[in-house]
Amino acid sequence: MPKYDRWLEFPEGVASEPDALSRRDFVSLVGASIALAGLTGCVRKPDREILSYIDTPPEVVPGQPLHYATSMTIDGYATGLIVESHEGRPTKIEGNPDHPASLGASGILEQASVLQLYDPHRAKAPRAGRTTTTLDAVRAALAPPALTRRVGARGAGLRLLLEPTSSPLIASLLNEVRTRYPDAAIFYLAALESPSSIIAARSTLGAPLAPQYDFSQADAIVSLDADFLTSGPFHLRHAADFGARRRRSPAAQLYMAETAPSPTSTLADRRIALSPSGIARIAAALLDAVQSPNATASLGEVPLSEPERAWVAAVERTLGVHRGRSIVLAGPRQPQEVHAIAYALNDALGNVGHTTWYSPPAVLDAGEQSHDPAAFAASLEQGADTLLICDVNVCYAAPADLDMARHVSAVPNGMYLGAYEDETARTTAWHVPASHYLESWGDARAYDGTLSLVQPLIAPLYQSLSVAELLGALAGLGTVNVHDLLTKEWGHQHAGADAATAWNDALRRGVVTDSSSQRSTPAVNRPAALDARRSIAPQTAAPNGIEVVFAPSHGVHDGRFANNPWLQELPDPITKLTWDNAALVAPALAATHDIQTGRVVRLAVGPASLDIPALVVPGHAADVVTLIMGYGRDGAESTARGVGVDANRLRTGRAPFAASGARLVRTGDHHALAITQSHWTTEGRAPSILGQAPANGETHATTKRRRPLTLYEPKAPSSTGFGADQWAMTIDLDLCTGCSACVVACQAENNIPVVGKQGVLESREMHWLRIDRYVDGNESAPRFETQPMLCQHCEKAPCEYVCPVNATVHSDDGLNEMVYNRCVGTRFCSNNCPYKVRRFNWFDYNDELAETERMAKNPSVTVRERGVMEKCTFCVQRIRRAQIDSELAHEPHVRSVMTACQQSCPTRAIVFGSLTQPESEVVRLTNDSRAFSALEELGTVPRVRYLRRSSDSSPATDGGRS
Amino acid sequence: MSAALEPYPVLLDVLDDGTLTTELLAPNWTPSRRWWPLFAISGALSILFFVAIGVTVARGIGAWGNNIPVAWAYGIVDFVWWIGIGHAGTFISAFLLLLNQRWRASINRIAEAMTLFALVNASLFPLLHLGRPWFFYWLIPYPSTMGVWPNFKSSLPWDVAAISTYFTVSLLFWYLGLVPDLAAARDRAPGLLRRRIYGVFALGWRGRATEWRQYRLAYTLLAGLATPLVISVHSIVSLDFSITQLPGWHSTIFPPYFVVGAIYSGFAMVLMLVLPLRRAFGLERVITAQHLDNMGKLLLVTGSMVAYAYVCEAFVAWYSGDPFERYTMLFARPLGPYAVVFWIMTTFNVVTPQFFWSGRLRTSPLALFIAGVLIWAGMWMERFVIIVGSLNRDFLPSSWHFYAPTWVDWSLLIGSIGLFSFLFLTFLRWVPFVPVSEVKRLRFEEQRDARVPVGAANDAA
Repeated sequence: MPKYDRWLEFPEGVASEPDALSRRDFVSLVGASIALAGLTGCVRKPDREILSYIDTPPEVVPGQPLHYATSMTIDGYATGLIVESHEGRPTKIEGNPDHPASLGASGILEQASVLQLYDPHRAKAPRAGRTTTTLDAVRAALAPPALTRRVGARGAGLRLLLEPTSSPLIASLLNEVRTRYPDAAIFYLAALESPSSIIAARSTLGAPLAPQYDFSQADAIVSLDADFLTSGPFHLRHAADFGARRRRSPAAQLYMAETAPSPTSTLADRRIALSPSGIARIAAALLDAVQSPNATASLGEVPLSEPERAWVAAVERTLGVHRGRSIVLAGPRQPQEVHAIAYALNDALGNVGHTTWYSPPAVLDAGEQSHDPAAFAASLEQGADTLLICDVNVCYAAPADLDMARHVSAVPNGMYLGAYEDETARTTAWHVPASHYLESWGDARAYDGTLSLVQPLIAPLYQSLSVAELLGALAGLGTVNVHDLLTKEWGHQHAGADAATAWNDALRRGVVTDSSSQRSTPAVNRPAALDARRSIAPQTAAPNGIEVVFAPSHGVHDGRFANNPWLQELPDPITKLTWDNAALVAPALAATHDIQTGRVVRLAVGPASLDIPALVVPGHAADVVTLIMGYGRDGAESTARGVGVDANRLRTGRAPFAASGARLVRTGDHHALAITQSHWTTEGRAPSILGQAPANGETHATTKRRRPLTLYEPKAPSSTGFGADQWAMTIDLDLCTGCSACVVACQAENNIPVVGKQGVLESREMHWLRIDRYVDGNESAPRFETQPMLCQHCEKAPCEYVCPVNATVHSDDGLNEMVYNRCVGTRFCSNNCPYKVRRFNWFDYNDELAETERMAKNPSVTVRERGVMEKCTFCVQRIRRAQIDSELAHEPHVRSVMTACQQSCPTRAIVFGSLTQPESEVVRLTNDSRAFSALEELGTVPRVRYLRRSSDSSPATDGGRS
Repeated sequence: MSAALEPYPVLLDVLDDGTLTTELLAPNWTPSRRWWPLFAISGALSILFFVAIGVTVARGIGAWGNNIPVAWAYGIVDFVWWIGIGHAGTFISAFLLLLNQRWRASINRIAEAMTLFALVNASLFPLLHLGRPWFFYWLIPYPSTMGVWPNFKSSLPWDVAAISTYFTVSLLFWYLGLVPDLAAARDRAPGLLRRRIYGVFALGWRGRATEWRQYRLAYTLLAGLATPLVISVHSIVSLDFSITQLPGWHSTIFPPYFVVGAIYSGFAMVLMLVLPLRRAFGLERVITAQHLDNMGKLLLVTGSMVAYAYVCEAFVAWYSGDPFERYTMLFARPLGPYAVVFWIMTTFNVVTPQFFWSGRLRTSPLALFIAGVLIWAGMWMERFVIIVGSLNRDFLPSSWHFYAPTWVDWSLLIGSIGLFSFLFLTFLRWVPFVPVSEVKRLRFEEQRDARVPVGAANDAA
């Protein structure tokens, strides 16, 4: 029996396991790890020194958070992050300004990943068969002496499946594995990855290259189904560049052709809704129009409808004007022909080398056979004995016709490294918990090739391994120390005395300087491009039946984040759907099939069929159904389990992202969809809400800040001390994509609880910041507009005078403050808030949290109890900290403070600052001619000012028919 | 009183005082089996009420259907409804006393008891409605060690003051009026125990002339105090809504509109209570056709005023040109998600009283009872339309959301009716519910006035 004091810090078996574990030892270990998980104040330091981002204090000052740079990889591509840590607990994730894929911003997945670390449903110990085992046993089973007996000396029976990876460390470990087992087969799988862009590059550019874009230099952008501002490995960078360009006048033109409205399309100047075959046709027509007429004359004209013709003509005109300064890009899941046409168009327009160029893909073996799930399935049938799956939930995410679960379970000796006991864990004999990236060392490349390091902020919470540690065991290195492997490799590449300095610098900054891939500007092989053009046959004009598009979920990606409650409760930017997926259909299709939102439809493609609730989306292409992937999970993770429907059941390995000839039948069932905003239009209130010009032809009513009539002059702010700064925010609606990174950032920063599907159905979601989405115009061709809505911090706040107990009051520096412990919960303030941004704790939402989940709470922000109101505070905790710092430095004003939403915003649409600092950006924008206050006529004098869309009058969507 | 205005006598078969006392106190002595099912049903519903309260306090307001934007719903609807009902009692006892309406004498005790029990319900709802009800006293101005006062700009502390004042005055008024009757009950109660109990509550009333003089003085003074409260309480309650800027609430017509509506609903409930009692206890001689006629007229008057307020609200919304007001009043209410409730409410509250232009219907107990039930329900719906109907669609369409009550909401509504019934039955069983002394006085005055010329009654009072 271990002594009690040994339970507190590092009990035996957490750092290194005993060789043989008795049942009694196991019970005490599990008990200790549970107890450890409960010790929220306990520091769990990584076992090697890690370095803080900018200036490491000599010692940790309690209450002062530290910041460390690290990287998170999704589908193999890294995004540089800076993680805030409170006494050893990582709590908040921000973008790394030095990292090219972030530039300081962060996306929803990065923001929410911290909650994944503390997920109570994570697997906690390795398992062999049905019995719990140890990591040493796992390593022993993988070690060459044991393994060669099974897979043969050359490893002919060994199969490896990994997530696509860009890590040099993993690459060298895989090489070691290959050296030892030359006949082993290695595969990569990411459910949302399509090899088509690389394959198209190989055929048209002569090499497997990845296209790179610089949106900050583009005057015209044509997106063929590419949601480049809010999805993909480099979207934060693209959004930042796009935002920088959009600030300059004249604005860049953005043309979109897509199936379901995407966040990017909310900023489009001209959008057309098309089926997948329609996108291919319009791409072909665009190539015909841009190239010299005789080049494609022999191929015959592509049949186009009137709106399509108008769109192509407008795009062609614009592209003609902006030769060399435009970008044509195809969506990642478009077929290779469309990619080839996009490359050819950029080539023909002279964009290559200016706004676009190419570089070798960052991930290993991109576009190779090893990335093909069908090839993987086939290899399992050919004498596979041992299968090692690293962090890929292949049995869920692969197309259903590959029958991956059967293949994997047929392998005699399967081992799965994964964070959860999910669908794949069920089919393998071994399950090894995977370490979270905040628990492990590593490295990874960004989409442009820039190398960054992954440094852990916390020792593994459970008995888990990282991919590198598992591969180390497989390569016969035994218990590897990844940190040492990294520094050894670093030493090879950075000879000389300053290698250690450079290492420290790379750790601190989170980026290895000048490590991005070589740019190349290959010419397009014209015959290959024409082949692609030719293969888009004219008969695609009339596809039979309904087409189906498989689209990633905005929140849970390919399903791997499905157990993350923040992401489940994050409203989709367009549909505002939470806690579910749906079949998105156009109003026209809904009308012909008599479908309403929430009505369950049966969608059949070939032999497979799926019952899924429909969601009618204005601006969706007609005769197409978009199925959202990532839901219908069936693993042991109880948050994800049973939420939504698994769209993979209709996918095929041959055409994994689109299908045609589908049949749609209405069933009698109804499914309640938790939608946070069910009204699409502004009900004619756009002038008041969005600052648009009134329909009667008057100009914008108010551009100046207007004060309500009062007998008294407003009190002048004091020049020094508390109140010398007057906080205000501006939000540029020209730059807001609705990507919702700010929503998750706010949730993480401010300890905002999750209410669950039932809570959302009852309209009790707690988000302090929400994104309102409105559509304008007709149903099939609407204009979208998004508006982040948060507490407006009204100078004449309607909530304040109705509170009977003075629980919401105004601070001297212009904040509308909420005093939680004074609130009795009359909710009168919410009734009188015209923006309805106040949230009420209907239940004790924090009572249900697991001990580990409590560790994710930000200690600088009160966790609210049942029965009190809460709302956006302008991140008052950050303001006060900055204020203390400036007071200590004897500065009269607070110099720099960023709210969480502002910090995460990829396009920098949100600006925060003090109105009393005349040089500040917020003052300039507050007085901008586009600035307006929402519901200005009510006289609430909000401190949040919006900058209205400057592209008010531009044409919107072209016809909805494909 | 002119004969045309009072075509029916207010007292039939005038007996001598002794018989009157015996007859009116009889229900308090003679238990009947019919009591038990009534007690059982209302008691069960009261238990449901307390279960619902327990759930609310234990789990939180989330047990209700409220949401954002509809942060106030059944709780406040029930509150305003009950407090409105509570207005008729004081109106009948105090207002009509000051206006020298003699017919009030035989029904005022019932109306006052109704007021009191309605107020008990009404004051429970705002407490339950708090997110943290255990801190309700923060709304009361008391010298707190925290040095924080309530926010007097908010109408909720006004509510606390108005309702607690009203409850206190109503209780005193009801009890003071009861004292001579309690003394009569003490004197006639069978059994020592009952005599003692009534004796305690009779406060030593002996019926001396000085006592009567001081009693009348105090009673009239309290009536004078209570009368402005009839106007003020519901005016203040209405300010809970009209001080906001929510379309549908932000309206200057609310104070008079609410007061009239309150009296209207109160009369409806008085009818619902008095008519069955009249039949069950054979009170036709003291609650005569004249009472019914008068009540019918009052329903017609207050109902027409309420209808006028409805029209005014819609007209002003249109005339103001404010797009949000216009949307709420001219679109959301008649055509929006709660249009069914709106139209039922309009039918019940506007159409029902118009039948009482007919004198025959005014004296028909059945017609009056049905009208009472319809208006009683219609006025609940009116509060629902005002509160939920305005909140669920306000300024930003992005925040619009439907509201649906939960079983707890329904239990609180039905349970509060149960609690009211239980208290009222208790009152009927043990307290003289027709004011014996006042009816005797009325008998005296009627007999006296029969000797004086018609039209001089006012001077004689």
